[in-house]
Amino acid sequence: MSEKVEAKKWGMVVDLDLCTGCQACVTACAMENNIPYTGEDETAYGRGLHWIRIQRYWKGEYPEVSPTHQPVMCQQCGHAPCEPVCPVYASVHSEEEQINVQVYNRCVGTRYCANNCPYISRTFNWFDYPHPVPESYSLNPDVTVRRRGVMEKCTFCVQRIRHAVDTAQAEGREIEDGEVMTACQQACPTGAIIFGDLSKKESAVSQAARSQRSFRLLEELGTEPKVVYLKGGGNYGG
Amino acid sequence: MAAETKTLSATHSASQEGEDLRQEHLMHDPKPREEMNGMVMEAMQTTSKKYWIALAIFGLGVLILLFGFWGNQIITGMGVTGKRRPVFWALYITTFVFWIGISHAGTFVSAILRVFKAEFRRPFTRAAELMTTFGLAAGALFPLIHLGRVWTFYWMIPYPNARWLWPNFRSPLVWDFLAITTYLLSSTIYLYLPLIPDLAMARDRSTGWRHSIYKLLALNWRGTEAEWHRLRKAINIFAFAIIPVMFSVHTIVSWDFAVSQTVGWHSTIFGPYFIIGAILSGVSAVVMILFIIQSTMKNMKYFIRLEVFDSLGKLVLIFSMAWAYFFFNEYLLHWYGGYQAVRDLLTFHAQGPTAWVWYTMLICNVAIPWLTLWNRKIRRTPLAMFIITTLVNVGMFAERYTIIPLTLGEQRFPFDWGAYSPRLTDISIVIGTFCLFIFLYLLASRLIPLIPVWEVQEGQMAHSTRKLGKGKVTSVAELE
Amino acid sequence: MSAKSVQMVLYPDTHLDQAAETIHRLRQHGIDDRDISVISGVPYSDKILGRPMSWTRIGLIGLAGAVVGFAIATSLNFGTPYLYPIRVGGQPFFPIPTSIVVTFELTMLGLLISTFLGVFIETITPSYGPKGYSPKVSDGHIGVLFSCPTEKMDEVKKGLEDLKPEWVKNPEAKL
Repeated sequence: MSEKVEAKKWGMVVDLDLCTGCQACVTACAMENNIPYTGEDETAYGRGLHWIRIQRYWKGEYPEVSPTHQPVMCQQCGHAPCEPVCPVYASVHSEEEQINVQVYNRCVGTRYCANNCPYISRTFNWFDYPHPVPESYSLNPDVTVRRRGVMEKCTFCVQRIRHAVDTAQAEGREIEDGEVMTACQQACPTGAIIFGDLSKKESAVSQAARSQRSFRLLEELGTEPKVVYLKGGGNYGG
Repeated sequence: MAAETKTLSATHSASQEGEDLRQEHLMHDPKPREEMNGMVMEAMQTTSKKYWIALAIFGLGVLILLFGFWGNQIITGMGVTGKRRPVFWALYITTFVFWIGISHAGTFVSAILRVFKAEFRRPFTRAAELMTTFGLAAGALFPLIHLGRVWTFYWMIPYPNARWLWPNFRSPLVWDFLAITTYLLSSTIYLYLPLIPDLAMARDRSTGWRHSIYKLLALNWRGTEAEWHRLRKAINIFAFAIIPVMFSVHTIVSWDFAVSQTVGWHSTIFGPYFIIGAILSGVSAVVMILFIIQSTMKNMKYFIRLEVFDSLGKLVLIFSMAWAYFFFNEYLLHWYGGYQAVRDLLTFHAQGPTAWVWYTMLICNVAIPWLTLWNRKIRRTPLAMFIITTLVNVGMFAERYTIIPLTLGEQRFPFDWGAYSPRLTDISIVIGTFCLFIFLYLLASRLIPLIPVWEVQEGQMAHSTRKLGKGKVTSVAELE
Repeated sequence: MSAKSVQMVLYPDTHLDQAAETIHRLRQHGIDDRDISVISGVPYSDKILGRPMSWTRIGLIGLAGAVVGFAIATSLNFGTPYLYPIRVGGQPFFPIPTSIVVTFELTMLGLLISTFLGVFIETITPSYGPKGYSPKVSDGHIGVLFSCPTEKMDEVKKGLEDLKPEWVKNPEAKL
C-alpha cells in the first residue's frame, strides 16, 4: 500500500457499550443516502437495503437474557476482499479518503463483491424502487439515486467528507476534527459513534480507537477494517 | 492391411470365439464403408412425428421458459428470483457450474481417450463433443442471465474505449470470460475438424439444401494425402492443447468461489475437486445421451454397443471414487480445523433443514455408483446405466447447490444467516436452458453425421485377431 | 511440351496393395510424384502408400498464433492497468500471479485459433498436383489421380491392366 502522508485515513469508532439498539442510525442513514424502503415483506425476506444494520444477539439463558447490539456497516477495509473480484472496477479503493468506494454507474451487477464481503455489508437493488411523493421531496441531491441491478453500500457519507474537504480548501485551512459527521453519528442519541481522521493522533476517533476496549470485526481475516468497535467486560452500559 | 483383416476374420468366423468377438466389438465387426455411410445418413435423415413434436416442445420451452422469463427478469429486476442477502448467487450459478461440468465430457472422452488411443471411443467421440459445445452454449448464458444489468455485459470484455478503462484482470469473472471463450471456440473447432471428412461424405450423398450446406462446410474436402496430413496434425495439436484448457476452465470456475473469504469456499482443493466432479457428471451425461441416441435413432445399435456402456461405466465408477476422495479430503480438514463458522456450516449441511440435499449428493454420487457399477451385468444394461448416470447427475447438481446457496446462507455472523428458496423464475430459466440443450442436440442430430464414420473405419482397419497359442487375441495396428 | 490430361483410377479400399502398386508403376512410366495424388475416405500414412511426405505448416502457424496470444495477454496484463491505475484490495498494480491465468488462456486461444486458421488457409491456398474427385471415394474407394501426357496414355493404361482398376470418366468434374 502506498500510503501518502497527506492522505486522510477516515475511520469510525463504535462504542458498543453505549449502543442502545434504537435504530436511529439506520433511519438517518436511509434519509441521508436516498435508500429506498423495500417494504415489510421484502425486508423480512432479507432484501432490506440498509447500509447499516443493528445486529442483535441475546446473551444468557432464559429468563435471564439481555440483548447486545452491534451496528455493522461497511468496514471500509484497507485490503477489501470485495475490490479485486469486480470485473469492471466498480468496487475500488479511494487513495485520497482511504475508503472503499462503489461506482454505481460502472456496476454491472455480478454481485461477486457481496459474496466476498465477510461482513455482508453490501446490498443489491433487486428492483427499481419508487420514491413516491412526498418521499421524493426528501431525496438528498448530493447522493445518486440507484437503479435496479447495482450494488450499493455504506460510503462513510463520502458526500459529506467531500463537502467538508472542499470547504476547508476554499477557505484555505486545515480540516478540523469533528467537522465531518456521518449521518449515523449525527443521529446517535448516546454518542456511540465517533468519526474522524485516524491518521491524526489527537483526533477524537484516534483517541477512542486506542482504547483498551477496542477490537475490529473479523480481524483475523486481514481485511484491515477502518471501523473500530469498543466493548468492555459488560459491567457498564448495555 | 484391410485385406488381411478381412481374411482373418473370415477364416475364424466359423468358430464361436470369432463370433463372440464380432458381436462384442464394433471394431471386430467391420462393414463396407458404403453401408456404414448409408446407415449414418439414414439415421440423420429419418425424422419421425415424435421427433418433430419433441423439437416443438423443447423449442417452445426455450422461447417461454428461457427467453420469456429472462426478458421479464431484465425488465423487472433480479428480485423476481429468490435471491436475498446473503445468498447473492444461487440457482443460476449452480446451473452454470453444472453445464460447464457437463461440457467437460466431450473433451475428456474425445481428447484424452484419443491421446491415450482408447479404441472404444471411436463411435461416440462426436456425440460427446456435441455435448461439450451445447453444454457450453447453455452454460455460457448464465453469467449473462445472472447479471443485474445485463445490458452492460460488454463492459467485461477487453476493448479499447474512450476512458481507457479496461476490465480488471484480477477478477476471476474476467478469467471466466476468457477461459469460457477459449474453451467454447476451441471445442467448437475441435468438433468441426474431424467432422470435415464426414461432411464431405454427406455432401456426396445428399441433394438440395442439405447438399449446399454440406458443400459449404466441407471446405472442398477431397481426401488427398495433404488434406489428411493437415487434418491429422491439427487434430493432434487440438487433442493435446485442449486438455489443459479444459482443466483450466473448471479450475477457474472453482476459483470464482475459492478466491473469496467466504466460509466453506476458501479451499485450496477446490480446483481439482471441481474438475473431478465435472468429469464425473460429464461422463455420466455421455452415457445418458448415448442411451437416448442408441434407443431412438436408426441404426445406432450397430455403432453403440454394450462395450461402450461397459467401459464408460468403469470410468464413472473410477471418477465417483475420485470424487469421494476429494470430497472427504475437503470435509475432513474443514471439520478438523475447528474454525467455529466452518463447523457451523458443516453441521448445517448435514443436519439443517436442507440436509436432504447433502444426503442426496452423497447417495447419488457415492453410494449408488459404488453399489452398482462394479457389476458387469449392470454396466451392460443400457437402461440401468441410464438411470444410474441420471442419478449421478442429480447428485452432482445437489453438490453444486450445496456449495453455492446452501453455503452462502451460513455466514460468519449468525445475524446474517438466511435461507434461499428458488422461485418460479429461477426454476423456469434453469429448465429453459435444459430445453435449449436438448433442442440444439435434437437439431444437430439430424443435421450432422453423429458417427465419425472415417474414424470407425480406420479403427476397424487397425483391428485384427491373432492366434496366440490356442486362443485368439486382438491386435491393433498403429496406422497413424 | 505436350498436352496433359488428368486421369483417375479407383480401387475398393480392400485393394490397398493394388493402389500402392499403381503408384509404383506410374512412377516407372515416368510420371513424377508431383503429378500423382491419392484421395481416400480414410487417412493412409505416406509409408503405407509409399509416397513422399506431404507438406504442412500447421504447427508453425499454430506456434505463431501462440506468440501473438502471449503478446496480447502481456499487453493486457501489464499495459492496461497503466492506462487507468486503480488500486484494488491492497494488491499491486501489476500482480504476477493473476497475470499468469490471463497469459495461459490467451496463449492457448491464439494457438488453437491459428491452428484452425492454418487448416483453413492451407485448404484454400492453390496446391500442386492433379485436381479431380469422384464421390465414390467417400464410399470406401481409394482414388489415384495422375496427370499424364496424352501420348503416354495407352502405354500407362496397358501397364495397369492386370491390377483391374476402375477408370473414372471425367474426373475433373466439380464436387
